[in-house]
Amino acid sequence: MAYLDLKDVSKSFGGVAAVKDFNLEIEKGSLVSFLGPSGCGKTTTLRMIAGFEQLDSGTIRLDDADITTVQPNRRDIGMVFQAYALFPNMTVRENIAFGLEMKKTPKKVSEKRVNQVLDMVRLQDTAKRFPHQLSGGQQQRIALARALAVQPRVLLLDEPLSALDAEVRLVLRGEIRRIQSELAITTVYVTHDQEEALSISDKVVVMNKGIIEQVGSPEQIYRAPQTRFVATFIGTANQFHGKVSGKDSIDCSNVRLFTEPLKGFMDGQSVVVLVRPENIQVQAEQPGAGRWNAIPGIVETITFHGAVTRLGVNASGQRVVADITVANNKPVSLNQKVWLQFPPNVCQVMAGEE
Amino acid sequence: MNNLPKTGNETKKKLRPAPWQIALIGFFLFYMFLPIVSTYVFSVATRWDRTILPEGYTLEFYLRAFQSSYFTITLRNSLILSISTVLTSLVFIVPTVYWVHARLTKAKPLLDVLMILPFGIPTVVLALALIQVYNRPPLARSPELLIGAVVVYSMPFMYRPVSNALQALDIRTLTEAGQSLGANVFQVMRRVIFPNILTGILSGSLLVFSTVFAEYTLTSLIVGARFKTFPLLLVEYTRINGNVAAAFSVISFTIAWLASILILWVGSKGQAVHAETFQAH
Repeated sequence: MAYLDLKDVSKSFGGVAAVKDFNLEIEKGSLVSFLGPSGCGKTTTLRMIAGFEQLDSGTIRLDDADITTVQPNRRDIGMVFQAYALFPNMTVRENIAFGLEMKKTPKKVSEKRVNQVLDMVRLQDTAKRFPHQLSGGQQQRIALARALAVQPRVLLLDEPLSALDAEVRLVLRGEIRRIQSELAITTVYVTHDQEEALSISDKVVVMNKGIIEQVGSPEQIYRAPQTRFVATFIGTANQFHGKVSGKDSIDCSNVRLFTEPLKGFMDGQSVVVLVRPENIQVQAEQPGAGRWNAIPGIVETITFHGAVTRLGVNASGQRVVADITVANNKPVSLNQKVWLQFPPNVCQVMAGEE
Repeated sequence: MNNLPKTGNETKKKLRPAPWQIALIGFFLFYMFLPIVSTYVFSVATRWDRTILPEGYTLEFYLRAFQSSYFTITLRNSLILSISTVLTSLVFIVPTVYWVHARLTKAKPLLDVLMILPFGIPTVVLALALIQVYNRPPLARSPELLIGAVVVYSMPFMYRPVSNALQALDIRTLTEAGQSLGANVFQVMRRVIFPNILTGILSGSLLVFSTVFAEYTLTSLIVGARFKTFPLLLVEYTRINGNVAAAFSVISFTIAWLASILILWVGSKGQAVHAETFQAH
């Protein structure tokens, strides 16, 4: 039995469906991310869990009790907002103590608890300051401490890092994961940043247009996308359109691609083959015959990304991107003729539109 | 002066106001303070029509003002009118503005327009219209009708500062943050929203108080002599004795000023008490 269980949850705003038949089970102590473009329904779902939006239909159960219609302040669910939402009239200590005060916690216990969570977010010396005296990153740490102080059953984070600088974002996301693991608190994390979702989650829920596209571990989502949306939304993927011809090959307009033995596809069916840029090797010479795919092309763009260099290659009209590392490859120049090579097992085949 | 500074020299120059700027500010201050200073001086001048400065000084007019049979009663009426208007505005306008900001943002443009109307309608028209509509007892020409009228008339003065204070806050998110920490809506209102808009409420109350305290047209047309207020007495005296009228003006001004200090003091005390309760916790 899952700890947090969403069953057939639907919600629409003014006739437009925001979330459709959402079913998800979240295990106790895990960190689950809702990932998707803006307007995909991820924040709406989170707000329904928090109790800020009413469900049109469906149920939400927490720890085996139906909380669908329970008031937000009686759910015992903590929340961290994108805009921090610290109370401007209170000091850091007062902000964190607010929830404990609402719970009528004895003063001594509350004080100890405030110090504990301040330690946890490593901001002990800010207790007497007001929110406006803190940086964005510090404010968000305090918001996290405030949410954790009351020891909620579930922690919800709504794009908590979106308003911060890239550097702070990176540090804080590590902190969030560390604290979450330490406390083993069941957490739902909403983000549109795939790197963020993949790096900190136990489980990623990819959403689009109000429905779940795929649920899986970060590795599964990245390596084995089940829909074209997931494949193209997560990371970069080259798409080759073609038709199935034979049990392990696809006929594309100008090349024939070899894949792993195909299952569930009919001969002649339209398909899309997805290949990640990092799985493509770039060779200057034409390779010998074999089961590897080899496509000739002309280098059109070279973009330096630090650890890798991304090449844009024109392969007889089709644009293909490939990532090369400096260590493994000879330098490549613009307009150079190259051969793109990749093994059959990196080709992800999906049904294409007719 | 709108040019961007190009050199260090120019930046330095910018810091010092130019002579014409000093002249402009000087003229502005002169323009603002001349009537007030003149009124003050006139209220203690024996004779001031043949010389630049008064020929002599006296407190006689203040004595006459205080001894006027209507002095206490008009002062009392004015205070009743101002204070009840402030309280009515607080009860009706503040929650309405909060509601519109928190839950009914679509209605905000409508409310914004409504709040400009009192400026657009001449008070004479407002007064006559009210007299016609409410022409039966007990409301007709009653102080209660007058309070209703001045509440409408002074509405923008309460609405604007409160609305601006709320605008500066992300009320919805703050309310939700409070709720997620276990507080109900009233606790959030009391502990989070109210302390943050207190300054707006105070300046609104101040503006309403001073506007209503000096209100003449509505009072004169709706209730007239049945509920004589301080400004009515003042205008009456301009026809009897200008010096006494000036003394009344000074008294009126001083009262508005004292009221401001009182409201600000209550506000700062409220905040201090608030801070203490937090500390005690």
